[in-house]
Amino acid sequence: MEEFEKTLSWQQAAIEAERCLYCYDAPCQAKCPAHVPVPEFIQSIRSGNLHGARTLLQDAHPFIETCGRICPEEAFCQSVCTRSKIDAPLRIRELHRFVTDSSDPSDRMELPEATLGRVAIIGAGPAGLSCARELRVRGFLCDVFEARQVGGVPSQEVSTHRYPLEVEEREIRFLTSAFVANVRPERVTDVKPLVAEYAAVFVATGLPSETDMSIEGTQLAGVHHARELLRAMKSGAISGAGNRVGVIGGGNVAIEVASMLREEDPTRDVMVVYRRGIKELKAFKKEIQEATEIGVTYQFLAIPDKVVGSRHVEGLQVTQTHLCGEDESGRCRFEPLPGSSFIIPLDTVVVAIGQRVDEDVFPGLARSDSGLISAGENMQTSMPGVYAGGDAVHGAQTVVEAVRDGKKAAEQIASFVAGGE
Amino acid sequence: MYREHDLSYDFLGIHLENPFILSAAPPTDELDIAIDGLTAGWAGVVLKTTSVKSNPVNLKHPMMSSFGTAAHKLWGLGNIDLISQYHIGEICERITALKHMFPTKMIAASIMGSKKEDWQSLVWQLKKAGVDLIECSFSCPQGSMGEAPGRMLAQSVEATEKVARWVKEAAGETPVLIKITPQVTDIVEIARALKRAGVDGVTASNSVPALIGVDVETLEPRPSLFGEGAYSGMTGMAIKPLTLRTIAEIARHVDITISGNGGAYTWSDAAELMAVGASNVQFCTLPMHYGFGTIRDLKSGLADFLDRKSYASPLDIVGKALGSIKGQEELVTPHSHSDIDVEACIGCGNCFRACSDGAHRAILWDAEKRKPSVDDEKCPGCGQCMQVCPVNAIRMKEELDGKVHYFEFKGTH
Ligand SMILES: Cc1cc2nc3c(=O)[nH]c(=O)nc-3n(C[C@H](O)[C@H](O)[C@H](O)COP(=O)(O)OP(=O)(O)OC[C@H]3O[C@@H](n4cnc5c(N)ncnc54)[C@H](O)[C@@H]3O)c2cc1C
Ligand SMILES: Cc1cc2nc3c(=O)[nH]c(=O)nc-3n(C[C@H](O)[C@H](O)[C@H](O)COP(=O)(O)O)c2cc1C
Ligand code: SF4
Ligand code: SF4
Ligand code: SF4
Repeated sequence: MEEFEKTLSWQQAAIEAERCLYCYDAPCQAKCPAHVPVPEFIQSIRSGNLHGARTLLQDAHPFIETCGRICPEEAFCQSVCTRSKIDAPLRIRELHRFVTDSSDPSDRMELPEATLGRVAIIGAGPAGLSCARELRVRGFLCDVFEARQVGGVPSQEVSTHRYPLEVEEREIRFLTSAFVANVRPERVTDVKPLVAEYAAVFVATGLPSETDMSIEGTQLAGVHHARELLRAMKSGAISGAGNRVGVIGGGNVAIEVASMLREEDPTRDVMVVYRRGIKELKAFKKEIQEATEIGVTYQFLAIPDKVVGSRHVEGLQVTQTHLCGEDESGRCRFEPLPGSSFIIPLDTVVVAIGQRVDEDVFPGLARSDSGLISAGENMQTSMPGVYAGGDAVHGAQTVVEAVRDGKKAAEQIASFVAGGE
Repeated sequence: MYREHDLSYDFLGIHLENPFILSAAPPTDELDIAIDGLTAGWAGVVLKTTSVKSNPVNLKHPMMSSFGTAAHKLWGLGNIDLISQYHIGEICERITALKHMFPTKMIAASIMGSKKEDWQSLVWQLKKAGVDLIECSFSCPQGSMGEAPGRMLAQSVEATEKVARWVKEAAGETPVLIKITPQVTDIVEIARALKRAGVDGVTASNSVPALIGVDVETLEPRPSLFGEGAYSGMTGMAIKPLTLRTIAEIARHVDITISGNGGAYTWSDAAELMAVGASNVQFCTLPMHYGFGTIRDLKSGLADFLDRKSYASPLDIVGKALGSIKGQEELVTPHSHSDIDVEACIGCGNCFRACSDGAHRAILWDAEKRKPSVDDEKCPGCGQCMQVCPVNAIRMKEELDGKVHYFEFKGTH
């Protein structure tokens, strides 16, 4: 399938790079959770030093190919670019993607001998693999335990449209072959045996469970979990969705699944049903825009009451809401309008209202009220020697933030091991 | 619909409808192209340098090269061109034709010879064809005739004076300009020699001898013809500051008419060349880059400038800036310091870094607010911060005799 965007040509990249002011103590770099040295890598594009740009990016950020494609730069580097005070911000992620798309991962590396010990990493997503790389660079060996597919959510669920298979494979192949001692295809349910066997443990299991909706009718045939569908479609299966699909939710998962279902069958109606308004959608702007472009439609200000149907889904009954001020966290509040309910005729309902840490795992690790794994500033959990990061600790975040956690955890683990000896 | 400022005046007794002339180069090397240039509104042409029939001209292509950045490809243009492949007979026919078509424009020719007989016969034939002015190329960077290979006539004071005399002797009443090179030890000596020889003026100057580049991947020079290359003549924007100095040096020391040439791209570039002593301005790289239509902006920009400044004629600018060009040692010794407009500042930190690594470490940086401030004790007001500020938020402030003066950034439009 054709991609939404073409990457920049050399000429476009060089011209864009010339717009960079090469800020001192650059705000873009500070705002990037992985601290990508933005002005330096842009300078290297300017000088024609592609390998230099690649190594700067790669050094700072293990998931550099992935982020070149799917990093929501609007939330990070680009949002603070000084250049926007003159005209428009630098297209930093595009430049970043230009570098990764036009160069191979640099294997001009020198790794120290791995003499410092073995670390167990649970979950081979962005947080886990980043931690593995940073630990290997420091002289540790890492065994990575993965229940599903190495690469985590981006590999398993993000549409190939936004994140092409070849890009993903290249990144994951490089990371595992260069930095991971063993990949163990296992679902870990208890960390205690690992604590005994390894110098330290890093829990980076993300949010594998999906939140169910507590309304009538969710047992009907034709009701799906969003991420389950995404995984199925990404692995090449047919979704089995019908011709009139309602996706319930307003976050990235909702938009992603709506887009993928629409791409799977462009004649299918796909409607995102969201209880707040268009401005409150939590998904990244670019994704919303792209979904809208390919014909995803929206029913805003509608809260589901029940899924209707006898054996199979026939529709979704919703009540209209109206927005009324903000709660303490600044989020927009909404209230149902009594007597305003109506039925949207549908043959498929996809639930995308949230994700959680699995409930049946890791007894002994303290959890927050919402079931997330508790970890302090130094990434340590309630169990000594066990660290945690990524979505499993912070809830749904982004790849680059998971990378930040992985890097930080490696640092903490290294000093923990050094201190313990 | 709009009133037009009259830009016309006399130059060495020749009527010019404006100061903008097409120099001896590709834009004047074909009759139809030169006709288009004149039709577009250029005040005159100097037809590309011609020679006697016996002189072979062996061109090597591609002859053009350039250097710059992705966004500004053509800071400097390079060529390994030679003089025209058209010999004097053809050029004389063109002179007659052009003079007939454009009786009110300046139709000039450029010549280059080796022996006295060649120079003088070229002049006589051009006079017969009705040429308005003769320019002599003493400065073609690609092998001059009559001197040692690779050496230009205009690099020798004696040769310059001798050949200039031959030409002027043959030209009689017809005005003669000698086109010189900036690449000499003392340009004033050359201008003095020309004054002694009695020619009417000097064209200052020409392309600058240069090596445009080396491809470090292949170690081939640029341009490269199957792996080998040669020095180029460099023209265009990059050479304007060199031209300005050349013109100013001549004008400050020798009383001789100057036709300005080298690096002018805009009406204000042209006005700068005139302000340091040029009586008109020749262009080559501009039309080779953006075409003859550029004349419209040259004319309207200059006209507006003259209106705004209440100058009656372009001649009123000539040499106006010379009085204030001094030796460095003659300048006053102020104590200035950097004055930053924090409202206009966008917080890029370039001034801080430039001062920190390349000046006096006199700028302090508030990392929280991303704003610079100046330590007046440490800052002597060198002005480097002002060069790097992308939004011109910095000027130098100085107090002299109880009065405050500001030095503002000047460099771009
Ligand atoms: C549909 C969707 C679209 C997204 N789009 C973007 C985007 O465009 N840009 C962006 O920056 N972010 C996006 N995100 C968010 C991003 O994918 C996550 O923030 C990021 O992947 C979190 O990384 P992680 O390593 O913490 O967890 P994950 O990526 O979830 O990785 C955790 C891994 O652990 C494995 N695992 C779980 N439990 C166990 C266990 N018990 N034993 C062994 N292995 C286990 C899982 O199989 C998984 O591979 C998106 C998320 C989703 C769901
Ligand atoms: C391709 C090329 C050929 C030129 N040929 C001649 C020439 O034959 N005789 C001459 O006197 N100057 C020649 N010049 C120099 C130009 O007339 C002019 O002096 C020079 O380009 C500087 O002006 P500019 O910066 O406006 O281009 C040539 C320049 C170029 C670029
Ligand atoms: S903030 Fe913008 S202009 Fe400044 S260094 Fe970063 S990308 Fe360049
Ligand atoms: S990783 Fe994301 S935030 Fe960081 S530089 Fe790249 S695009 Fe920007
Ligand atoms: S260079 Fe200019 S914009 Fe940048 S910090 Fe200094 S004063 Fe501000």
